[in-house]
Amino acid sequence: MLSLGAALAVFLAATLALGVVRWVGDALNPMMSTAPERVPYHGGMPPEFHAWNRYHVRWYAMALLFLAFDMEMVFMYPWAVVFVREGLISLVEMLMFILILVVGIVYTWREKGFEWA
Amino acid sequence: MGLRRRLGSLAESAPVAVFPVVGAGARADVARLRLRPEVELVDSPRHADVLLVAGEFVPGEVPGLAQVHDQLAPPRGTVRWGERLDGLDPSTPTIGTQDEVVAAIGSVASGLYRDPSISESPLLPDVDPVDWRGVGPYGHGGTGMTGGTPYGRPMVERAPDRDGLELDQLPVTVGPWIGSLPPGMTIHMKLQGDIIQEAEVLELVAGPYCPDLFTLALSSPQRVEDMELARASHHLVWLGEALRVHGLPALGLRALRLSQKLGPDSARSVRRLIQTVRRSGIFQLALRGVGTLPDSGLDGLGPVSRAHGREDDARLDEPAYRELGFTTITHDGGDAAARWRQRLGEIDQSLDLAGRAGALTAFGAGVVESPRGRIEPEGAQPSSLLKGRLAVWLTGLEWGDAVTTIWSLDLDPITYLPVETGARQ
Repeated sequence: MLSLGAALAVFLAATLALGVVRWVGDALNPMMSTAPERVPYHGGMPPEFHAWNRYHVRWYAMALLFLAFDMEMVFMYPWAVVFVREGLISLVEMLMFILILVVGIVYTWREKGFEWA
Repeated sequence: MGLRRRLGSLAESAPVAVFPVVGAGARADVARLRLRPEVELVDSPRHADVLLVAGEFVPGEVPGLAQVHDQLAPPRGTVRWGERLDGLDPSTPTIGTQDEVVAAIGSVASGLYRDPSISESPLLPDVDPVDWRGVGPYGHGGTGMTGGTPYGRPMVERAPDRDGLELDQLPVTVGPWIGSLPPGMTIHMKLQGDIIQEAEVLELVAGPYCPDLFTLALSSPQRVEDMELARASHHLVWLGEALRVHGLPALGLRALRLSQKLGPDSARSVRRLIQTVRRSGIFQLALRGVGTLPDSGLDGLGPVSRAHGREDDARLDEPAYRELGFTTITHDGGDAAARWRQRLGEIDQSLDLAGRAGALTAFGAGVVESPRGRIEPEGAQPSSLLKGRLAVWLTGLEWGDAVTTIWSLDLDPITYLPVETGARQ
């Protein structure tokens, strides 16, 4: 296991390397950028507003989809272990469980959660 | 200095990153420049070493050009392809052929790599739009989280979104020179996330009169073979650009290569390309169900009308085309996929007609069927008719679907002026 001293040395060396890279970069290209050079480019017209803005990412559809498949896996691993011993009853239980999850997937589909683009 | 020189000579062996600013009459030439291994056309000036100013411009565009020029990271240089224009360095040489422009780009880039101090200076003053540094309790130009003007620009206002939530609405103007839109197109939008809540297509570029074979056919008959080859070539250049925007640049290069040396004997190569495009999955993944247009008001829009199932084609009234047994190809659906299929079908049809046309001539008075639709003396261009309705069609779309819709319409924002009155403004 790495000692505290070695970890600190790695951290300091990485920090130093970063500083050297910045210094070499500035030495190779010392030109400073002007205000029009710094603005985001979107076709030749200057931006009117600051780009920082809050919008709705619609996480709920994606979270629902994740939970549906995640829960399926969480239950399926232990189920696979006991499936042979328990027989048909465990198969029926699993089908019921998956049916409930499918309701969530169908809801996500209706909410256009599968349209990733 | 030694290290810089060595890095410079390494950079010289790579293709030069060029950002093209395309004016009137240069779109196809610039698109075909992608075929040259010496240059790499990039989608943003941030990635470019050389700015290529191609075609003709009107003085009103010069402030936009200066903005693009200053967005190239130094060291930077400019090459002009075509006429001189006001506002940029008058010492920049004007050049004509593709070989000359490639040589000039290479020469400018080599000079910059060897000696970055020869980089062109910024054209715009180094000032923020408003004074903001140190203003307000947190030094961001105002008070409160959204009350400041960081970097001289105000924060956005809030408005209801499609879920009924009050969220920020970002007004942004995209274009006229950005890789994802046809050159010259400028859209002012209000965005929430990537949803376009409001759109306005700006009348920025008023291009000068650039006669082509189809505008010449308004006044004198032209050979059917020449016109059909020009039509196929036009659609292939469109295909090349549209494939690049939709993430298939290698197929796009194939289309551009074919457009460059097109003849009636190219039919086999063109059919192979069309088949590969159809098998690429782009129709199912990106085009199907996107940009479906309403049924009304599509008269005279060429492939856009015909992709709506209409037999709308001025060639049907021409004796020469009747002699060749010409019938219109149509598609149903009116979405982006139908418009792509329509143009692919028309490329094949044009090559077939060109191969059988012999010495036949057509048009010469009144109406002509151009690759974008019907044109008439003193009449509005098809792109102009489409542009008037585009804002309504884009509202409510996600940005990606908006780009797909725009490309599927094959707009040329630079030819908005009426055909005969397109004199320089």
